[in-house]
Amino acid sequence: MKPANRIMKRVLRDGTAAIAAMIIGGASLGYAQESVSVRATLLTGAVPVDDPSAAVWSSAPPATFPMSPQVHWQNRIQEVTVKDVSVRALHDGTQVAVLVEYADPTQDPDDAAALEFMVGDKKAHFAHGQPMLQVEGGPVNIWFWKNKTGKAIDMSAKGFGTLKPQEHQDVTAKGVYSNGTWKVVFSRKLLTGHADEDVQITAGQFMSISFAVWDGRKDAVGELVEKGSQKAVSSWWYFRADAPPDYSGYMYAAIAAALGLGFQFVLIRKLKKGQ
Amino acid sequence: MGALGKPIILMVAMYAFLKFGLPNIPGSAPLPSSLIFLYLLLTAGGIFMFETVSGESKDAFWNPIQRFLTGENIGGLQALRYGVFILFPLLVGWQTYGSTAVSDLPPTESRTIHPAPPGEYTGLSNPVPKTPDNIMQGKGFYAAYCSPCHGGNFDGKGPAARGFIPAPANFADPTTIAMLQESYLFWRIKKGGVGLPIEGAPWKSAMPRWEVELPDEWIWKIILGEYDGAHQSPRTWE
Repeated sequence: MKPANRIMKRVLRDGTAAIAAMIIGGASLGYAQESVSVRATLLTGAVPVDDPSAAVWSSAPPATFPMSPQVHWQNRIQEVTVKDVSVRALHDGTQVAVLVEYADPTQDPDDAAALEFMVGDKKAHFAHGQPMLQVEGGPVNIWFWKNKTGKAIDMSAKGFGTLKPQEHQDVTAKGVYSNGTWKVVFSRKLLTGHADEDVQITAGQFMSISFAVWDGRKDAVGELVEKGSQKAVSSWWYFRADAPPDYSGYMYAAIAAALGLGFQFVLIRKLKKGQ
Repeated sequence: MGALGKPIILMVAMYAFLKFGLPNIPGSAPLPSSLIFLYLLLTAGGIFMFETVSGESKDAFWNPIQRFLTGENIGGLQALRYGVFILFPLLVGWQTYGSTAVSDLPPTESRTIHPAPPGEYTGLSNPVPKTPDNIMQGKGFYAAYCSPCHGGNFDGKGPAARGFIPAPANFADPTTIAMLQESYLFWRIKKGGVGLPIEGAPWKSAMPRWEVELPDEWIWKIILGEYDGAHQSPRTWE
């Protein structure tokens, strides 16, 4: 082999390695992601709206969020039972179900859990959409479940003291307690006819969600340790219902590859003619 | 060493420096891949200009490339040539797919951490004299009202802090109260999370609006206690 060829070979080998390194380096950056959102997986079958133990839940990736005592407003407590909630979600294009799981050592009638969503385009403070002093914020939609009643209440709020059940009740919920763990599934249609008070869930769009949990345990004198504003809360996280698979990316890639091939073809022809 | 060797070594060295070297320099951070790509593009442009500046160097630069792409009897390189011809369109296709694919990342939040306070809260000076007594009282109020989140050690690591994102401010960190005036703290304590302007959104601050629970004098004392406890001094206009 001629020396020029050897050099050429080495150069190309090194070059290929460099390009490969660039691609690998670039690709790995794209996957650096924290658990900041709940992803509702799109199902082809039915959503398990009243079965927190359904096998299909394992197809939804869990996301874990830390909880704190509600301290923003009186009356506060400084310690809460539930330290984290693990959340999964599923949807079928019409119905959405959100499964909240958390450890609670005792099952009590007053055990309760809630989801909170921003409603409409205006941002809202995570504490019940508490009015902002400098800006007008929006309302929040709260889906509240209590063990005692075994069902959900669909509520609206715009600040503490304004929480009230809605005229249209669109949410269902079911809780199952076993082995020190609550599994509560909330369900609703993605869209309701009441966009002014209900969160409208559009597949593919990120929206804001937060969580609250009450341990309904009573203390030595029979007082509830957590009730009302005395609860475990999270601040805002993201929620997104998966959009149906979109294959247009493959089409664009095929067009680009064809163009690349064409460019290559023309280039070689020109070079050959130049010789 | 052929005319192509040096440019390629230079590109690889540049890439290695940007990707692995630069982030290790104190005070630096890993570069986003788009910026690395831009720098490599500029490097490649510079090399290209340098190599094609005279007819001679241009030939030395281009001839091996041309020979590789179109030359006859190149022996073992023939297979590599076909490899490049196949790989190039595939790479273009892959890059296009990567740039058109829908992102799985939530929207970026451009929250301003220390937004400007309303006019009436700028330039106020602490009306409470900085005496050991007042500092001690301030620390007492701090322990009762602030420490559950901001921590007994003024480090933002109180027992109630874990669920709050952004985390409660760490007062011992020189980028918090040390770079703010007492007047600013007075505003943030008084108005809390709901007092934030739009640039403070998304409003995740759990900070209570203490004006509904504590008299102004207590708040000023808490400020004295905070600076003393965190071993910081308020920012002043020299």
